[in-house]
Amino acid sequence: MRENLDINSNDNTLFVTGQCNNNCIMCCQPPTKKNDFDFFYEQNLRLIQTAPKDLSVIGISGGEPTLLGERFFDLVAQIRENLPETMIHVLSNGRQFCIESYAVKLKEIGQNKISLGIPLHSDSSLIHDEIAGVKNAFNETILGLYNLAAVGLPIELRIVINQLNYSRLPELSTFIFKNLSFVTSVSFMGMEYIGFAVKNSEQIWIEPIGYVQSLRKAVLDLSSWNIDVSIFNLPLCLLPDDLHSFARKSISDWKNNYADMCETCIKKEECCGLFTTSKRVFTGLKSFTI
Amino acid sequence: MLKHSLTTITLKSMNNVIYYLLPFYFRKFSDNEIIVNEIGDYLIVPAGTSQRIVNKQITKDENVFHDLLSNYFISLTPIPDLIEVYAVRLRTKKAFLDNFTALHIFVLTLRCNQNCVYCQASSLKEDACNTDMKIEDLKSAVELMFKSPSEHITMEFQGGEPTLVPNLIRFAVEYAEEINLIEKRKITYVIELLAICKKYNILISTSLDGHEKLHNLNRGKTDSYDKVIAGITKARQYLGFDKVSALMTTSNDALLFPKEIINAYLENDFHSIFIRSLNPYGLAVDNTDWEKYSSQFVQFYKETLEYIIELNKQGIFFVEEFTTLILRKILTPFPIGFVDLQSPAGIINGVIVYNYDGFVYASDESRMLAEIKDYTFRLGHVNDEYESLFYGKKSQIISKSWSTECIAGCSDCAYHFYCGADPVRNYSTQDDMYGFRPTSMFCKKHKQIIDYIFTLLSERKEEVLPIFKSWINNTCG
Repeated sequence: MRENLDINSNDNTLFVTGQCNNNCIMCCQPPTKKNDFDFFYEQNLRLIQTAPKDLSVIGISGGEPTLLGERFFDLVAQIRENLPETMIHVLSNGRQFCIESYAVKLKEIGQNKISLGIPLHSDSSLIHDEIAGVKNAFNETILGLYNLAAVGLPIELRIVINQLNYSRLPELSTFIFKNLSFVTSVSFMGMEYIGFAVKNSEQIWIEPIGYVQSLRKAVLDLSSWNIDVSIFNLPLCLLPDDLHSFARKSISDWKNNYADMCETCIKKEECCGLFTTSKRVFTGLKSFTI
Repeated sequence: MLKHSLTTITLKSMNNVIYYLLPFYFRKFSDNEIIVNEIGDYLIVPAGTSQRIVNKQITKDENVFHDLLSNYFISLTPIPDLIEVYAVRLRTKKAFLDNFTALHIFVLTLRCNQNCVYCQASSLKEDACNTDMKIEDLKSAVELMFKSPSEHITMEFQGGEPTLVPNLIRFAVEYAEEINLIEKRKITYVIELLAICKKYNILISTSLDGHEKLHNLNRGKTDSYDKVIAGITKARQYLGFDKVSALMTTSNDALLFPKEIINAYLENDFHSIFIRSLNPYGLAVDNTDWEKYSSQFVQFYKETLEYIIELNKQGIFFVEEFTTLILRKILTPFPIGFVDLQSPAGIINGVIVYNYDGFVYASDESRMLAEIKDYTFRLGHVNDEYESLFYGKKSQIISKSWSTECIAGCSDCAYHFYCGADPVRNYSTQDDMYGFRPTSMFCKKHKQIIDYIFTLLSERKEEVLPIFKSWINNTCG
């Protein structure tokens, strides 16, 4: 838990609860059952009040932030009041927004400086639900996305690649273009080997070299329809050349490092590197030379 | 939309899943089947899959199960949980209906200074009498135009040759601008007259059939090509390069020159073409053996398209617009604005014609029928009430056969979502608006062309898809 928000960090995120109504098979931060709403709310309030006024982005994450109910909106209102110029980015599974009034309210309170990052695991509801660990999660998330789009909130779709969903990434891209073409951006994300990913590794772990061809098709297809696509958490040496321009330095600074061989790599500066938290090193890492 | 692969999906909860059918259509497609749902999403699957779907034999460890589920061919509940999404998708595809009539065609005169062999408009000699629109009728027509609820209005001036009556064009545009001071619609004007074009930012559309030999041959003149090129050059200089577009018609003679036509377009700096077939109206009816022409046209279309694809592969951006319309319907969730390939049809819903004689017709083709004394699609006179013209008895009768969803031979066709209904053409080629698909040239031609586009998409995907996407992304549909 951080003590203050730092203007120089690339990750200023308010952690609002450890509880979640999904139970994702690869969750890097497995949900808790503890009633922690009050504890984190008080702490976050202090962080907001003491934050630098020119903070560009503030995140809200968990757990599932919308489980706070009314207090979720209170928190957004507090940020809006204390940090009127700061962009708010909420990480949510989006299910709660299948209730239309939730989406309307978030837009009212967050105004024009709030966006959401919402995971979509598959184009198939069965596969999505299997990954999310909850029946009907897919339907609620999709309806949530439609309601959020209807009020004009910007949406980033997040796809964490694992063994259950990697083979249908091109189909997922088609699904997104056909059904969710209103999203602002789509981010494909490498898995962090921690939490449930370790526990369920036999069922879900797959090395990037096992899925990059499927990822490549999916990324190039979406991009060719002028949808903004990014790749998170995958080092450049594991990506084909034509995907390098999509890769972002996405790993939060407090859990980012590089392997020994990266020291001699000429692309280190542009590369996202690795998770210090990941308990497994990717197969196939290499150093680019001149 | 991807070919069925043999990959299997292993989910933990492997017990079989009951599924329900959503409406879909199928068609044999080389050794496979093509299946299309109610919102235009398609899958190419192995032959026999439709039967297996209906027999509830698809299991969830098959990749195709998930293709069917995510593309709304099957549902896990009798009514899909995401029926609202399905509804939005359908509404989006049919959004061309939202604003009702947007294209208003004014036939200002039948007189013309050309003599084209394929003329559909039954144009008359330059000195013919009584074929210019009366000012008071033109005034009523402009007023009717503003009764249309559409925010975007296109006012198109036709003939004959509308530049023979510049006074009428000037009056129509100025009167429309005057009314629009209050109405505040967005109006686009399309005609051929330079001075007034510049003032009101009017677009010019002219015929250019291809190279010099063909263009002159089609017109029975020796200097038409030089004149039209001079005109295009002048218009571009005066109005701006992008304000001038060209239109070709595939006459019998044109069938021999696919490459020459495209090259002529390129030489004159056009980067798109609409490969347009002859229509069975006006003068064109008697000059053509339709059965023969139709099969030759499809062959011509394929050859021309192949040449255009080849040019694009060489780095020359050049669009075939008809293919792009079909592709937009097949590959994207968005509607098209083109009035001739819609269901419900574009007549009345998208286009209306105010004829030189003061009568109102359902479409350009409808007024061409009137020239052979057939007034079937005459909706009334410009002095009649808006409601009686657009919602009256005639319109109601026409509406019964203007949707592919509602007419036999279309309603169960796998391609109906990509095609359109055309009661006027049915009437003029088959003697009734409803038409008869098994002998319809229109039907045969479209099925062949759509089959061909799917063949390209499935057999030469890597090669053609990037080109096709560049066409969709660089045109407005």
